Amino acid sequence: MLAGRSARVWSLVAAQAARRGGAVSAEDVCAAALTAVAVSGAGLTAATRAGSGHVMCATDGISEQIAELELTLGEGPAPDAATAAGPVLASDLAAADVEIRWPSFAPAARQAGASAIFAFPLQIGAIRVGVLEMYRSEPGPLDADQLGDALVLADTAAVLLLEGTNWAGGAGPMASFGGQPPYLALHRAEIDQATGMLTEQLQVGIEEAFVRLRAYAYAQERRLTDVAGDIVARRLRLEADPDIPADGAR
Amino acid sequence: MDGRLLSETFVELADTMVVGFDVIDFLHMLTDRSAQLLNVSAAGLLLADPRGELRVLAASSEQARLLELFQIQNDQGPCLECFRSGKPVAVADLATAARRWPRFAPAAQEAGFASVQALPMRLREQIIGALNLFRAAPGHFDQADMRVGQALADVATISLLNERSLRRSETLNEQLQSALNSRVTIEQAKGKLAERLHLDMDQAFNVLRRYARTRNIRLSDLARAFVDGSEALPGLIEPPSS
Repeated sequence: MLAGRSARVWSLVAAQAARRGGAVSAEDVCAAALTAVAVSGAGLTAATRAGSGHVMCATDGISEQIAELELTLGEGPAPDAATAAGPVLASDLAAADVEIRWPSFAPAARQAGASAIFAFPLQIGAIRVGVLEMYRSEPGPLDADQLGDALVLADTAAVLLLEGTNWAGGAGPMASFGGQPPYLALHRAEIDQATGMLTEQLQVGIEEAFVRLRAYAYAQERRLTDVAGDIVARRLRLEADPDIPADGAR
Repeated sequence: MDGRLLSETFVELADTMVVGFDVIDFLHMLTDRSAQLLNVSAAGLLLADPRGELRVLAASSEQARLLELFQIQNDQGPCLECFRSGKPVAVADLATAARRWPRFAPAAQEAGFASVQALPMRLREQIIGALNLFRAAPGHFDQADMRVGQALADVATISLLNERSLRRSETLNEQLQSALNSRVTIEQAKGKLAERLHLDMDQAFNVLRRYARTRNIRLSDLARAFVDGSEALPGLIEPPSS
Protein backbone atom coordinates (compact mmCIF):
# COMPACT_ATOMS: atom_id res chain seq x y z
CA MET A 1 0.00 0.00 0.00
CA LEU A 2 2.38 2.64 1.23
CA ALA A 3 5.36 1.23 -0.64
CA GLY A 4 3.26 1.18 -3.80
CA ARG A 5 2.12 4.75 -3.36
CA SER A 6 5.49 6.17 -2.40
CA ALA A 7 7.28 4.29 -5.19
CA ARG A 8 4.79 5.58 -7.74
CA VAL A 9 4.96 9.16 -6.48
CA TRP A 10 8.76 9.02 -6.29
CA SER A 11 9.03 7.87 -9.90
CA LEU A 12 6.83 10.81 -10.95
CA VAL A 13 9.18 13.18 -9.12
CA ALA A 14 12.28 11.48 -10.54
CA ALA A 15 10.82 11.67 -14.06
CA GLN A 16 10.44 15.43 -13.67
CA ALA A 17 14.09 15.71 -12.63
CA ALA A 18 15.18 13.58 -15.58
CA ARG A 19 13.18 15.75 -17.96
CA ARG A 20 14.89 18.82 -16.53
CA GLY A 21 18.25 17.07 -16.62
CA GLY A 22 19.17 17.73 -12.99
CA ALA A 23 19.22 16.14 -9.56
CA VAL A 24 15.87 15.72 -7.84
CA SER A 25 14.82 18.98 -6.24
CA ALA A 26 11.83 20.70 -4.70
CA GLU A 27 10.74 22.06 -8.06
CA ASP A 28 10.28 18.49 -9.34
CA VAL A 29 7.91 17.84 -6.44
CA CYS A 30 5.82 20.83 -7.51
CA ALA A 31 5.80 19.68 -11.12
CA ALA A 32 4.84 16.13 -10.12
CA ALA A 33 1.89 17.47 -8.12
CA LEU A 34 0.22 18.71 -11.30
CA THR A 35 -0.35 15.19 -12.59
CA ALA A 36 -0.47 13.18 -9.34
CA VAL A 37 -2.93 15.43 -7.54
CA ALA A 38 -4.60 16.91 -10.62
CA VAL A 39 -4.08 20.53 -9.67
CA SER A 40 -3.59 23.61 -11.87
CA GLY A 41 -0.44 24.75 -10.13
CA ALA A 42 1.80 24.19 -7.13
CA GLY A 43 4.33 26.21 -5.18
CA LEU A 44 6.69 25.68 -2.32
CA THR A 45 7.45 28.16 0.40
CA ALA A 46 10.42 27.59 2.68
CA ALA A 47 10.00 28.74 6.25
CA THR A 48 11.52 27.81 9.56
CA ARG A 49 10.28 28.72 12.99
CA ALA A 50 12.97 31.41 13.10
CA GLY A 51 12.02 33.44 10.08
CA SER A 52 9.25 34.22 7.65
CA GLY A 53 8.99 32.32 4.41
CA HIS A 54 10.23 32.83 0.93
CA VAL A 55 8.96 31.27 -2.27
CA MET A 56 11.30 28.46 -3.33
CA CYS A 57 9.58 27.51 -6.55
CA ALA A 58 6.24 27.73 -8.29
CA THR A 59 4.93 26.03 -11.39
CA ASP A 60 3.15 29.14 -12.65
CA GLY A 61 2.39 32.79 -12.00
CA ILE A 62 -0.83 32.12 -10.09
CA SER A 63 0.93 29.83 -7.60
CA GLU A 64 3.54 32.50 -7.08
CA GLN A 65 0.86 35.16 -6.60
CA ILE A 66 -0.94 33.01 -4.01
CA ALA A 67 2.23 32.57 -2.00
CA GLU A 68 3.03 36.26 -2.19
CA LEU A 69 -0.50 37.20 -1.10
CA GLU A 70 -0.13 35.00 1.96
CA LEU A 71 3.24 36.47 2.86
CA THR A 72 1.89 40.00 2.39
CA LEU A 73 -1.50 39.58 4.07
CA GLY A 74 -0.31 37.17 6.75
CA GLU A 75 -3.37 34.98 6.26
CA GLY A 76 -4.36 32.05 4.05
CA PRO A 77 -4.08 28.28 3.80
CA ALA A 78 -0.27 28.13 3.96
CA PRO A 79 0.16 30.14 7.20
CA ASP A 80 -2.71 28.18 8.76
CA ALA A 81 -1.17 24.85 7.68
CA ALA A 82 2.13 25.85 9.25
CA THR A 83 0.44 26.82 12.52
CA ALA A 84 -1.88 23.81 12.71
CA ALA A 85 0.90 21.39 11.74
CA GLY A 86 -1.63 19.73 9.47
CA PRO A 87 -2.97 20.26 5.96
CA VAL A 88 -5.54 22.92 5.16
CA LEU A 89 -7.96 21.79 2.48
CA ALA A 90 -10.10 24.57 1.06
CA SER A 91 -11.94 23.04 -1.87
CA ASP A 92 -14.06 26.12 -2.54
CA LEU A 93 -12.60 29.56 -1.98
CA ALA A 94 -16.03 31.13 -2.51
CA ALA A 95 -17.60 29.24 0.43
CA ALA A 96 -18.95 31.42 3.22
CA ASP A 97 -16.77 29.92 5.95
CA VAL A 98 -13.67 30.47 3.81
CA GLU A 99 -14.58 34.16 3.40
CA ILE A 100 -14.86 34.47 7.16
CA ARG A 101 -11.62 32.63 7.76
CA TRP A 102 -9.54 34.66 5.29
CA PRO A 103 -11.44 37.90 4.57
CA SER A 104 -8.57 39.53 2.68
CA PHE A 105 -6.92 36.51 1.15
CA ALA A 106 -9.96 34.62 -0.21
CA PRO A 107 -11.21 37.31 -2.62
CA ALA A 108 -7.64 38.19 -3.68
CA ALA A 109 -6.81 34.54 -4.45
CA ARG A 110 -10.02 34.16 -6.46
CA GLN A 111 -9.13 37.33 -8.32
CA ALA A 112 -5.75 35.78 -9.10
CA GLY A 113 -7.45 32.74 -10.62
CA ALA A 114 -7.65 30.13 -7.83
CA SER A 115 -10.92 28.44 -6.84
CA ALA A 116 -9.56 25.80 -4.48
CA ILE A 117 -6.33 25.67 -2.46
CA PHE A 118 -4.71 22.78 -0.60
CA ALA A 119 -1.77 23.53 1.68
CA PHE A 120 0.47 20.85 3.21
CA PRO A 121 2.96 21.72 5.93
CA LEU A 122 6.45 20.29 5.39
CA GLN A 123 6.81 19.03 8.91
CA ILE A 124 8.22 15.99 10.64
CA GLY A 125 7.07 16.47 14.20
CA ALA A 126 8.70 19.65 15.48
CA ILE A 127 10.80 19.91 12.31
CA ARG A 128 9.35 22.63 10.13
CA VAL A 129 10.77 23.57 6.76
CA GLY A 130 7.93 25.11 4.78
CA VAL A 131 4.62 24.56 3.04
CA LEU A 132 3.68 22.85 -0.23
CA GLU A 133 0.65 24.56 -1.68
CA MET A 134 -1.52 23.61 -4.65
CA TYR A 135 -4.42 25.34 -6.33
CA ARG A 136 -7.19 24.46 -8.74
CA SER A 137 -8.82 26.89 -11.13
CA GLU A 138 -12.13 25.07 -10.55
CA PRO A 139 -13.51 24.30 -7.08
CA GLY A 140 -13.55 20.68 -5.92
CA PRO A 141 -12.15 18.47 -3.15
CA LEU A 142 -9.22 16.06 -3.42
CA ASP A 143 -10.26 12.44 -3.60
CA ALA A 144 -8.67 9.89 -1.25
CA ASP A 145 -5.94 8.93 -3.74
CA GLN A 146 -5.04 12.50 -4.53
CA LEU A 147 -4.84 13.32 -0.83
CA GLY A 148 -2.58 10.32 -0.22
CA ASP A 149 -0.29 11.34 -3.08
CA ALA A 150 -0.22 14.95 -1.91
CA LEU A 151 0.85 13.86 1.57
CA VAL A 152 3.64 11.71 0.17
CA LEU A 153 4.77 14.61 -2.04
CA ALA A 154 4.89 16.84 1.04
CA ASP A 155 6.99 14.24 2.91
CA THR A 156 9.36 14.14 -0.05
CA ALA A 157 9.64 17.92 -0.27
CA ALA A 158 10.32 18.15 3.48
CA VAL A 159 13.31 15.83 3.26
CA LEU A 160 14.60 17.45 0.04
CA LEU A 161 14.50 20.88 1.64
CA LEU A 162 16.16 19.68 4.83
CA GLU A 163 18.98 17.93 3.03
CA GLY A 164 19.47 20.75 0.58
CA THR A 165 20.33 23.05 3.47
CA ASN A 166 23.98 23.57 4.28
CA TRP A 167 24.27 22.63 7.91
CA ALA A 168 27.19 23.44 10.13
CA GLY A 169 27.70 19.71 10.46
CA GLY A 170 28.54 19.54 6.80
CA ALA A 171 25.99 16.88 5.93
CA GLY A 172 25.39 18.63 2.63
CA PRO A 173 22.89 17.76 -0.02
CA MET A 174 22.32 14.08 -0.74
CA ALA A 175 19.65 14.68 -3.28
CA SER A 176 19.74 11.23 -4.80
CA PHE A 177 18.91 9.26 -1.64
CA GLY A 178 20.73 6.39 -3.30
CA GLY A 179 17.81 6.24 -5.71
CA GLN A 180 15.42 5.35 -2.89
CA PRO A 181 12.29 7.28 -2.07
CA PRO A 182 13.34 9.34 0.94
CA TYR A 183 10.22 8.87 3.05
CA LEU A 184 9.86 5.08 3.09
CA ALA A 185 11.16 4.80 6.60
CA LEU A 186 9.95 8.15 7.82
CA HIS A 187 7.08 7.08 10.03
CA ARG A 188 8.92 5.03 12.56
CA ALA A 189 8.94 6.03 16.17
CA GLU A 190 12.57 4.97 16.70
CA ILE A 191 13.66 7.47 14.08
CA ASP A 192 11.74 10.23 15.85
CA GLN A 193 13.08 9.19 19.26
CA ALA A 194 16.65 8.92 17.95
CA THR A 195 16.33 12.36 16.35
CA GLY A 196 15.25 13.77 19.71
CA MET A 197 18.19 12.04 21.44
CA LEU A 198 20.62 13.47 18.90
CA THR A 199 19.58 17.05 19.68
CA GLU A 200 21.16 16.42 23.09
CA GLN A 201 24.13 14.32 21.96
CA LEU A 202 25.11 16.75 19.21
CA GLN A 203 23.76 19.91 20.85
CA VAL A 204 21.95 20.90 17.67
CA GLY A 205 18.41 21.79 16.67
CA ILE A 206 15.90 19.12 15.70
CA GLU A 207 16.22 19.80 11.96
CA GLU A 208 19.96 19.34 11.98
CA ALA A 209 19.70 16.27 14.23
CA PHE A 210 17.46 14.64 11.64
CA VAL A 211 19.82 15.43 8.79
CA ARG A 212 22.84 14.20 10.76
CA LEU A 213 21.07 10.94 11.54
CA ARG A 214 20.32 10.38 7.88
CA ALA A 215 23.83 11.39 6.83
CA TYR A 216 25.32 8.92 9.30
CA ALA A 217 23.17 6.05 8.03
CA TYR A 218 23.97 7.00 4.46
CA ALA A 219 27.72 7.18 5.10
CA GLN A 220 27.71 3.84 6.94
CA GLU A 221 25.50 2.31 4.23
CA ARG A 222 23.05 1.19 6.90
CA ARG A 223 19.30 1.39 7.08
CA LEU A 224 18.01 4.45 8.84
CA THR A 225 15.73 2.40 11.09
CA ASP A 226 18.66 0.19 12.17
CA VAL A 227 20.86 3.16 13.07
CA ALA A 228 17.94 4.78 14.91
CA GLY A 229 17.30 1.52 16.75
CA ASP A 230 20.94 1.40 17.90
CA ILE A 231 20.76 4.97 19.16
CA VAL A 232 17.52 4.36 21.06
CA ALA A 233 18.97 1.16 22.56
CA ARG A 234 22.05 3.22 23.50
CA ARG A 235 24.40 0.99 21.53
CA LEU A 236 25.43 3.97 19.45
CA ARG A 237 26.17 7.60 20.29
CA LEU A 238 26.98 10.31 17.80
CA GLU A 239 29.42 12.83 19.17
CA ALA A 240 29.35 16.55 18.56
CA ASP A 241 32.02 17.62 16.11
CA PRO A 242 34.58 19.56 18.17
CA ASP A 243 35.52 21.74 15.18
CA ILE A 244 32.04 23.12 14.90
CA PRO A 245 30.68 25.54 17.47
CA ALA A 246 27.59 24.15 19.18
CA ASP A 247 25.60 27.22 18.27
CA GLY A 248 26.64 27.05 14.62
CA ALA A 249 24.23 28.00 11.85
CA ARG A 250 20.93 26.32 12.48
CA MET B 1 -15.67 -2.31 37.07
CA ASP B 2 -15.58 1.17 38.48
CA GLY B 3 -19.03 2.47 37.56
CA ARG B 4 -18.26 6.05 38.40
CA LEU B 5 -15.09 6.11 36.29
CA LEU B 6 -17.01 4.42 33.48
CA SER B 7 -19.73 7.04 33.34
CA GLU B 8 -17.13 9.80 33.61
CA THR B 9 -15.28 8.23 30.68
CA PHE B 10 -18.38 8.13 28.50
CA VAL B 11 -19.06 11.77 29.23
CA GLU B 12 -15.47 12.72 28.37
CA LEU B 13 -15.44 10.64 25.20
CA ALA B 14 -18.64 12.23 23.98
CA ASP B 15 -17.45 15.75 24.71
CA THR B 16 -15.07 16.76 21.97
CA MET B 17 -16.37 20.28 21.68
CA VAL B 18 -14.40 21.50 24.66
CA VAL B 19 -11.97 24.34 24.13
CA GLY B 20 -8.48 23.03 23.40
CA PHE B 21 -9.67 19.61 22.27
CA ASP B 22 -6.71 17.54 21.21
CA VAL B 23 -7.00 14.28 19.28
CA ILE B 24 -3.87 12.83 20.87
CA ASP B 25 -4.97 13.58 24.44
CA PHE B 26 -8.40 12.21 23.58
CA LEU B 27 -7.03 8.91 22.27
CA HIS B 28 -4.64 8.55 25.20
CA MET B 29 -7.59 8.95 27.50
CA LEU B 30 -9.35 6.18 25.59
CA THR B 31 -6.43 3.73 25.89
CA ASP B 32 -5.77 4.59 29.55
CA ARG B 33 -9.38 4.20 30.59
CA SER B 34 -9.73 1.01 28.57
CA ALA B 35 -6.80 -0.46 30.46
CA GLN B 36 -8.25 0.67 33.80
CA LEU B 37 -11.87 -0.29 33.22
CA LEU B 38 -11.74 -3.46 31.18
CA ASN B 39 -9.57 -5.62 33.36
CA VAL B 40 -6.71 -5.63 30.85
CA SER B 41 -2.96 -4.96 31.23
CA ALA B 42 -2.53 -2.53 28.35
CA ALA B 43 -4.30 -0.95 25.41
CA GLY B 44 -3.08 0.44 22.09
CA LEU B 45 -4.78 2.21 19.23
CA LEU B 46 -4.17 2.37 15.48
CA LEU B 47 -5.77 4.79 13.04
CA ALA B 48 -5.63 4.76 9.23
CA ASP B 49 -3.50 7.39 7.49
CA PRO B 50 -4.66 8.51 4.01
CA ARG B 51 -1.11 7.78 2.80
CA GLY B 52 -2.23 4.16 2.95
CA GLU B 53 -0.72 2.91 6.19
CA LEU B 54 -1.85 2.42 9.75
CA ARG B 55 -0.28 4.55 12.43
CA VAL B 56 -0.05 4.16 16.20
CA LEU B 57 -1.81 7.12 17.78
CA ALA B 58 -1.93 6.16 21.44
CA ALA B 59 -1.08 3.41 23.90
CA SER B 60 -1.42 2.98 27.64
CA SER B 61 2.18 1.78 27.91
CA GLU B 62 5.39 1.71 25.89
CA GLN B 63 5.12 -2.08 25.54
CA ALA B 64 1.67 -1.80 24.01
CA ARG B 65 2.87 0.97 21.72
CA LEU B 66 5.78 -1.15 20.52
CA LEU B 67 3.48 -4.09 19.87
CA GLU B 68 1.18 -1.92 17.80
CA LEU B 69 4.18 -0.73 15.79
CA PHE B 70 5.36 -4.29 15.47
CA GLN B 71 2.06 -5.31 13.90
CA ILE B 72 2.30 -2.53 11.34
CA GLN B 73 5.91 -3.28 10.51
CA ASN B 74 5.31 -6.99 10.10
CA ASP B 75 1.92 -6.56 8.51
CA GLN B 76 0.29 -9.08 10.83
CA GLY B 77 -1.56 -9.25 14.13
CA PRO B 78 -5.00 -8.87 15.68
CA CYS B 79 -5.25 -5.10 15.26
CA LEU B 80 -4.56 -5.33 11.53
CA GLU B 81 -7.02 -8.18 11.04
CA CYS B 82 -9.62 -6.31 13.00
CA PHE B 83 -9.06 -3.14 10.99
CA ARG B 84 -9.30 -4.97 7.68
CA SER B 85 -12.39 -7.00 8.54
CA GLY B 86 -14.14 -4.41 10.70
CA LYS B 87 -14.89 -7.21 13.17
CA PRO B 88 -13.52 -7.96 16.65
CA VAL B 89 -10.60 -10.40 16.87
CA ALA B 90 -10.00 -12.38 20.06
CA VAL B 91 -7.22 -14.77 21.03
CA ALA B 92 -7.48 -16.31 24.50
CA ASP B 93 -4.00 -17.80 24.43
CA LEU B 94 -1.24 -16.37 22.27
CA ALA B 95 0.75 -19.58 22.74
CA THR B 96 -1.69 -21.17 20.28
CA ALA B 97 -1.43 -18.35 17.73
CA ALA B 98 2.08 -18.96 16.40
CA ARG B 99 0.78 -20.25 13.09
CA ARG B 100 -1.68 -17.42 12.61
CA TRP B 101 0.86 -14.70 13.43
CA PRO B 102 4.36 -16.23 13.33
CA ARG B 103 6.08 -12.95 14.20
CA PHE B 104 3.48 -11.12 16.27
CA ALA B 105 2.52 -13.96 18.65
CA PRO B 106 6.04 -14.59 20.02
CA ALA B 107 6.76 -10.85 20.22
CA ALA B 108 3.61 -10.25 22.25
CA GLN B 109 4.49 -13.11 24.59
CA GLU B 110 7.99 -11.78 24.99
CA ALA B 111 6.51 -8.42 25.96
CA GLY B 112 4.61 -10.22 28.72
CA PHE B 113 1.17 -10.61 27.16
CA ALA B 114 -0.73 -13.90 26.94
CA SER B 115 -4.06 -12.91 25.43
CA VAL B 116 -5.31 -10.19 23.13
CA GLN B 117 -8.54 -8.70 21.89
CA ALA B 118 -8.94 -6.16 19.08
CA LEU B 119 -12.05 -4.02 18.70
CA PRO B 120 -12.86 -2.06 15.53
CA MET B 121 -13.30 1.70 15.54
CA ARG B 122 -16.09 1.80 13.07
CA LEU B 123 -19.13 3.82 12.15
CA ARG B 124 -21.31 1.95 9.64
CA GLU B 125 -19.10 1.33 6.57
CA GLN B 126 -16.29 3.60 7.69
CA ILE B 127 -13.53 1.86 9.62
CA ILE B 128 -11.09 4.41 10.99
CA GLY B 129 -8.87 2.16 13.12
CA ALA B 130 -8.79 -0.45 15.86
CA LEU B 131 -8.33 -0.65 19.62
CA ASN B 132 -6.13 -3.47 20.93
CA LEU B 133 -6.42 -4.85 24.46
CA PHE B 134 -3.66 -6.97 25.97
CA ARG B 135 -3.69 -9.14 29.08
CA ALA B 136 -0.83 -10.75 30.96
CA ALA B 137 -2.84 -13.90 31.74
CA PRO B 138 -4.31 -16.31 29.18
CA GLY B 139 -8.05 -16.85 29.08
CA HIS B 140 -11.17 -15.54 27.42
CA PHE B 141 -11.96 -11.88 27.79
CA ASP B 142 -15.06 -11.22 29.84
CA GLN B 143 -17.93 -10.70 27.41
CA ALA B 144 -19.53 -7.95 29.47
CA ASP B 145 -16.19 -6.11 29.62
CA MET B 146 -15.79 -6.42 25.87
CA ARG B 147 -19.26 -5.00 25.24
CA VAL B 148 -18.23 -2.02 27.33
CA GLY B 149 -14.94 -1.85 25.41
CA GLN B 150 -16.75 -1.83 22.09
CA ALA B 151 -19.09 0.86 23.40
CA LEU B 152 -16.07 2.99 24.41
CA ALA B 153 -14.55 2.51 20.95
CA ASP B 154 -17.90 3.35 19.30
CA VAL B 155 -18.42 6.54 21.26
CA ALA B 156 -14.83 7.61 20.56
CA THR B 157 -15.28 6.93 16.83
CA ILE B 158 -18.53 8.86 16.62
CA SER B 159 -17.01 11.73 18.57
CA LEU B 160 -13.97 11.90 16.30
CA LEU B 161 -16.03 11.79 13.12
CA ASN B 162 -18.54 14.32 14.46
CA GLU B 163 -15.89 16.60 15.79
CA ARG B 164 -14.57 16.77 12.29
CA SER B 165 -17.80 16.84 10.30
CA LEU B 166 -19.42 19.50 12.47
CA ARG B 167 -16.94 21.97 11.14
CA ARG B 168 -16.22 21.00 7.54
CA SER B 169 -16.09 17.66 5.81
CA GLU B 170 -12.41 18.09 4.97
CA THR B 171 -11.60 18.68 8.62
CA LEU B 172 -11.47 14.91 9.14
CA ASN B 173 -8.22 14.61 7.25
CA GLU B 174 -6.80 17.86 8.52
CA GLN B 175 -7.27 16.80 12.15
CA LEU B 176 -5.90 13.32 11.61
CA GLN B 177 -2.75 14.60 9.93
CA SER B 178 -2.25 17.16 12.64
CA ALA B 179 -2.61 14.42 15.26
CA LEU B 180 -0.15 12.20 13.39
CA ASN B 181 2.36 15.00 13.32
CA SER B 182 1.83 15.61 17.04
CA ARG B 183 2.56 11.94 17.61
CA VAL B 184 5.92 12.40 15.85
CA THR B 185 6.68 15.50 17.93
CA ILE B 186 5.91 13.56 21.12
CA GLU B 187 8.34 10.81 20.08
CA GLN B 188 11.03 13.43 19.38
CA ALA B 189 10.39 14.99 22.78
CA LYS B 190 10.60 11.57 24.45
CA GLY B 191 13.97 11.00 22.81
CA LYS B 192 15.30 14.39 23.86
CA LEU B 193 14.11 14.02 27.45
CA ALA B 194 15.29 10.40 27.70
CA GLU B 195 18.76 11.47 26.63
CA ARG B 196 18.83 14.51 28.90
CA LEU B 197 17.67 12.69 32.04
CA HIS B 198 18.98 9.20 31.25
CA LEU B 199 15.50 7.69 31.19
CA ASP B 200 13.98 4.97 29.08
CA MET B 201 11.26 5.99 26.61
CA ASP B 202 8.41 4.90 28.85
CA GLN B 203 9.74 6.93 31.77
CA ALA B 204 10.33 9.92 29.52
CA PHE B 205 6.77 9.70 28.26
CA ASN B 206 5.39 9.52 31.78
CA VAL B 207 7.40 12.58 32.85
CA LEU B 208 6.04 14.51 29.86
CA ARG B 209 2.48 13.43 30.51
CA ARG B 210 2.63 14.19 34.20
CA TYR B 211 4.08 17.60 33.47
CA ALA B 212 1.36 18.36 30.91
CA ARG B 213 -1.39 17.22 33.24
CA THR B 214 -0.14 19.03 36.30
CA ARG B 215 0.09 22.28 34.40
CA ASN B 216 -3.02 21.62 32.32
CA ILE B 217 -1.35 22.00 28.95
CA ARG B 218 -1.78 19.80 25.92
CA LEU B 219 0.79 17.06 25.59
CA SER B 220 1.42 17.98 21.94
CA ASP B 221 2.02 21.64 22.86
CA LEU B 222 4.41 20.65 25.62
CA ALA B 223 6.30 18.28 23.30
CA ARG B 224 6.68 20.97 20.67
CA ALA B 225 7.80 23.63 23.14
CA PHE B 226 10.35 21.26 24.64
CA VAL B 227 11.81 20.17 21.31
CA ASP B 228 11.87 23.75 20.01
CA GLY B 229 13.35 25.02 23.25
CA SER B 230 10.91 27.89 22.84
CA GLU B 231 9.65 27.98 26.43
CA ALA B 232 11.30 27.75 29.81
CA LEU B 233 9.26 24.75 31.11
CA PRO B 234 10.44 25.06 34.71
CA GLY B 235 10.87 21.79 36.54
CA LEU B 236 10.72 19.55 33.46
CA ILE B 237 14.37 18.73 33.05
CA GLU B 238 15.30 18.51 36.68
CA PRO B 239 16.05 14.90 37.54
CA PRO B 240 12.99 13.14 38.94
CA SER B 241 13.08 12.60 42.68
CA SER B 242 12.90 8.85 42.99
